[in-house]
Amino acid sequence: MIDKRGIEMSFAWLFAIIVGAIILFIAIYAAISFMNSGQGEVNTGTAKEISILLNPLETGAEIGVASSFALPLETRIYNNCNSQKGIFGMQGLSVSEKSFRKWTAPGLNLEFPNQYIFSDKYTEGKKFYLFAKPFGLPFKVANVVYLTSKNYCFYNVPEEIESELEPMSQENIKIEENCPENSINVCFGSVITSDIECEIKVMYNDGEGYVEKDNEILYFAGDSLMYGAIFSDKNTYECQLKRLMKKTEQLTLLYIEKANFVSQRGCNSNLDAELIILNSMAKNLEKSDEISQLTPVVENIQYKNEDAECRLF
Amino acid sequence: MGVSKFRKAQLKIQQMAFMLIAITIFFALVGLFFISFKVNELKNQATNIEEKNAMMIATRVADSPEFSCGDSFGPGMTSCVDSDKIMMLKEGIEKYKGFWQVADIELRKIYPKLGGDKKCTMNNYHDCNVIEVYKNPSLNRIGDYSTFVSLCKKDSFEGVGYDKCEIAKLIIGYASRS
Repeated sequence: MIDKRGIEMSFAWLFAIIVGAIILFIAIYAAISFMNSGQGEVNTGTAKEISILLNPLETGAEIGVASSFALPLETRIYNNCNSQKGIFGMQGLSVSEKSFRKWTAPGLNLEFPNQYIFSDKYTEGKKFYLFAKPFGLPFKVANVVYLTSKNYCFYNVPEEIESELEPMSQENIKIEENCPENSINVCFGSVITSDIECEIKVMYNDGEGYVEKDNEILYFAGDSLMYGAIFSDKNTYECQLKRLMKKTEQLTLLYIEKANFVSQRGCNSNLDAELIILNSMAKNLEKSDEISQLTPVVENIQYKNEDAECRLF
Repeated sequence: MGVSKFRKAQLKIQQMAFMLIAITIFFALVGLFFISFKVNELKNQATNIEEKNAMMIATRVADSPEFSCGDSFGPGMTSCVDSDKIMMLKEGIEKYKGFWQVADIELRKIYPKLGGDKKCTMNNYHDCNVIEVYKNPSLNRIGDYSTFVSLCKKDSFEGVGYDKCEIAKLIIGYASRS
């Protein structure tokens, strides 16, 4: 005889097990989703708070202002620059935190048309350093912000750069002395001492030149763009430069209109022609290697404005 | 015998089904309450952030390139707004939609005083006291922050040009996130 005994299970038990499993699954799924969305909320909130911290640096009149902020957890701040969106392009900012030794998904990408942050694609750490500098062509276009977390050691620094960096005394930027071991070496000029390994080389000639890093060359004109090239990756640098040109384009139009408006009251600046040229050059600038073409026009505008009977800016 | 067992089982299933529905409704209500609480908390947080943003902008916007006098009325002037530039900005303000991420920006001359509010246009530029620089009507404005600035412009008297500066209040309105 074959033994036909087995486990007998009533329908009620079977029903309770299936429904119980479904309820448990939904509860676990909801808890995980809630944890993820909670983390997203924290990341997005942090990104917004950071952007507000940047506001005074962006809109103010400060020259070379340094500050820092610390976050409780190891954090990545993503710099999502978009030069195509809208009239001024967009500065995107998102944040990801390290939780249980893993990086969480970045929160919402918050976008701001009026901010210009030069940094790597993402900046990682607990303490972040900021400094701002006005970018002018020759009228002020915007305050640009440099966001860093690594240590930098500057060698062979030109006097004008040293006199600007020293009073700021930014904790993570040292000039030749007391550089921590893990510092990124930034070397100015072609003559560099052989025992220094230069990750970033800066060719600086009277405010113009180029920065060589990661086998790529970023051209600059003016100190504010030089810092931008030192502290950013190529994509971010080129994107922010394009956005600054878009802002220049709009500001030249504003100044042209202002010049016409005030000329009705006998206030003549005679800068229309130069401003039109600058407008067209800013509009057509595609890459940083064209930036030096702007210098003669900018210098001419500067000179004419200073000499004008009625200054435009 | 068999029929009564069947009915008993049916009753148990019904009981369990009702119990499940009750539990589901209970959890759904708790969930809804929790979500509405969280959403409310988020809205308050967002409004606080907007308020902080408006305060930061109010204290600094006067020195931004679109507003500041630069050196046109003398070197080193801070908290000085170029009225001529603002009028031109106002004319093409569509381009700046969303640029400052606030509900509105207004300049109100407070000295010398003018009887009543007169909004500035290109036609009454020299005889007005309120410049509505920017307004986003789609936002629900709930408050504002203001700061005092010098409002300067180029003027002329009998063909001779001069700089005219007045005291004004720069008002930044912020909206609630609802």
